[in-house]
Amino acid sequence: MSDLSSSMSTSASGMAAQAARLRLVSENIANADTPGFQRKVMSFEAVSDMFENGGRVQTGPVQLSSAERPQVFDPGHPMADENGYYQGSNVDLMIEIADAREAQRSYEANLKMFDQSRQMTSSILELLRR
Amino acid sequence: MIQNMTIFQLASGLTRHATDRQALVAENIANADTPGFKARDLVAFEDSFAAENALAMRGSRTGQISARSETVFTSPFGVESPNGNTVSLEAEMMRSSEIREQHDLALGVYQKSLQILRTSMGRK
Repeated sequence: MSDLSSSMSTSASGMAAQAARLRLVSENIANADTPGFQRKVMSFEAVSDMFENGGRVQTGPVQLSSAERPQVFDPGHPMADENGYYQGSNVDLMIEIADAREAQRSYEANLKMFDQSRQMTSSILELLRR
Repeated sequence: MIQNMTIFQLASGLTRHATDRQALVAENIANADTPGFKARDLVAFEDSFAAENALAMRGSRTGQISARSETVFTSPFGVESPNGNTVSLEAEMMRSSEIREQHDLALGVYQKSLQILRTSMGRK
């Protein structure tokens, strides 16, 4: 029983982590055309606490991607320098979409696990009701 | 007759094994994107049961079936992603449906045995 509820909280931590990742992806996509925007990335870490929270996942610090930002030629742009260039963002939409899809898949998998743990709990409780 | 209620011990042992395994699978899936995470699984129930049984035969243990056997690190299809993660979602899904089956089986056996016991006591 306690194992089942701990596996539910593990799945919930996984869903929270994937949701945080999806939030970063949507921030990146929203700012894909913002001049000078640096793509935000985040890593996952396993919680290595052996007692209460062991096995859960948590999100690491948000980092700015250091990929080079392209120089966009647009002399009419308000932020263009004297040569007519301004700094674009280093967001690649294709990568962001792939990342979002991966987050969705993992979220679904966690949700499925959560559901299964819940069903197992309720089938045990069903035994008690008889 | 039902000796020592072994069937109930067996069924609850199998349930506990399924529960523990479910906890590990949930951990694996939650960490499916964590760099360097190694997928874990329990030893199959048959194996841990056989080991327990051998011990019990020698008289060093009572017939109690403890579910928590040691965990093993698995690398499902021998795939390790570049960041050192060995979780394969497909393998975990397979495992979770196995667990589901195992759990249902154990609960079914438990319930049926209880019914038989009740019948033999003359109650409905």
